[in-house]
Amino acid sequence: MTESAHEIISTKINPGVVPHLHIWEWHIPLYLFLGGIAGGLLLITSAMIVMKRHFGFGPKDQGDGCPCLAVRIGSVLSPALLGIGMLFLFLDLAHKLYVWAFYTTIQPTSPMSAGSWILIAFFPLAVLQAMVVNRKYIEKFDIALVNKLIVWADDHLVKVALLNAHIGVGLGIYTGILLSFFSARPLWSSSILGMLFLMSGISSAAALLLLLAPKDERHLYSRIDANAIWVELVIVGLFVLGGITGPANSHGAMMHLIAGDHLMAGMPYMYWFWGVFVFAGLIVPLLVEVLENAGVHLHLPPVAPVLVLAGGLVLRFLIVFAGQTWHTFM
Amino acid sequence: MVIDTRVCVGCSACVYACKSENRVPEGFCRDWVVQETGGSFPTLNMENRSERCQHCDNAPCVTYCPTGASHYDEFGTVQINRSRCTGCKACMAACPYDARYVHPEGFIDKCTLCRHRLEKGLETACVSICPTRSLNLVDFNNMTSDIRALAGGKEVYRQKEHAGTEPRLVWISARNKPGA
Repeated sequence: MTESAHEIISTKINPGVVPHLHIWEWHIPLYLFLGGIAGGLLLITSAMIVMKRHFGFGPKDQGDGCPCLAVRIGSVLSPALLGIGMLFLFLDLAHKLYVWAFYTTIQPTSPMSAGSWILIAFFPLAVLQAMVVNRKYIEKFDIALVNKLIVWADDHLVKVALLNAHIGVGLGIYTGILLSFFSARPLWSSSILGMLFLMSGISSAAALLLLLAPKDERHLYSRIDANAIWVELVIVGLFVLGGITGPANSHGAMMHLIAGDHLMAGMPYMYWFWGVFVFAGLIVPLLVEVLENAGVHLHLPPVAPVLVLAGGLVLRFLIVFAGQTWHTFM
Repeated sequence: MVIDTRVCVGCSACVYACKSENRVPEGFCRDWVVQETGGSFPTLNMENRSERCQHCDNAPCVTYCPTGASHYDEFGTVQINRSRCTGCKACMAACPYDARYVHPEGFIDKCTLCRHRLEKGLETACVSICPTRSLNLVDFNNMTSDIRALAGGKEVYRQKEHAGTEPRLVWISARNKPGA
């Protein structure tokens, strides 16, 4: 008895589609990474401002209602990093001269249309908040209108910061659900991807603040980072569980990510996922930071935050690439 | 469109008619031919079929297009307005049929169902050239008796119906062949 055969031969030749989807390369993972950090920075710095202004809590008083130097830096970095991310997004467009078309319409069913407006809406309040906490530098320029704006924003800083905290969360979730909406791509078609990218953005933002903060402020960001990593680990577990227990499309796509031998930069996805992202990017820095917070000083260079940032970047590359190299919804 | 795979010989005339009529760039295609073989010797079965954009009634490419470049026209077909397309490729990620590609000039391209010919009352290039009449342009809201007779009582299918896109391409299965 001969074996049953099933073979499909197609004359479809379109590059970027055959043998698998290959439309998004390094630009989009970098944009998602920077967007996630920008959202995380905005959330953390806004929360710190509210804590300081409303509850009087903060590592130290920097004046101008700014709880610490890291908040000063983070407030500026947040819109700056998002701007760089949007540059990568622009570079990815195949029909660049028509970029204006995003901003002449609102397509209510398109997450990317909503996202393009969210990205624009992000800047005014984020920049305003950065100006208030850095007013001692900006007021040196003595521009009357800007100074008036700063005074107004300063009077309403708690409200501005509360709003910004929500915008930060929205941006972080958006970077994930941008992919979740594509039901034709089984790996991306998971609603928890938004939470995963949000928590990854928060942990990466805390790691960046940990790197930039002066020594006497680091303990706070180390604690924020450790907690964010812990929650992120739980969400990674749920993401994997949701995939492997799902229907054939989702199961296959998840196995392609967590046990796949498809190569990214010469190494199989499986090693990237478990070895680089989960172990080196989450578990090792979590252990280091828990020990540091418990008073066991390892006297290491800032290896934990660097690993968290590298893990966050690898996560975006893995998800974007593995989502394309697994076959289309069957 | 109703595609009768019983008579399709996989000649690719539809592919080249489309490439010529629509000036599809070299190395790309708006439609393509698939040969699917299954079973065990000596009862192997083979189906040749021509495939293209399914012009879905619930097209995810239209749903997800951030600029409205992908849209439905008055015939109900899915079209792309090149002067609003940013080349963001969201529509390509959204399409469960991988029917789209990035045109070398930057916009996203796919089968238009020869809209320019439909407007003149002509058939699409692929339909008009098909030597075995495998391809049949059909108005599903106003089916002729010929089409009813062609598809009636036979095993027909639509691709990935469970994706919920309500595709408008229907294939008459090769399993309807005598002896299949």
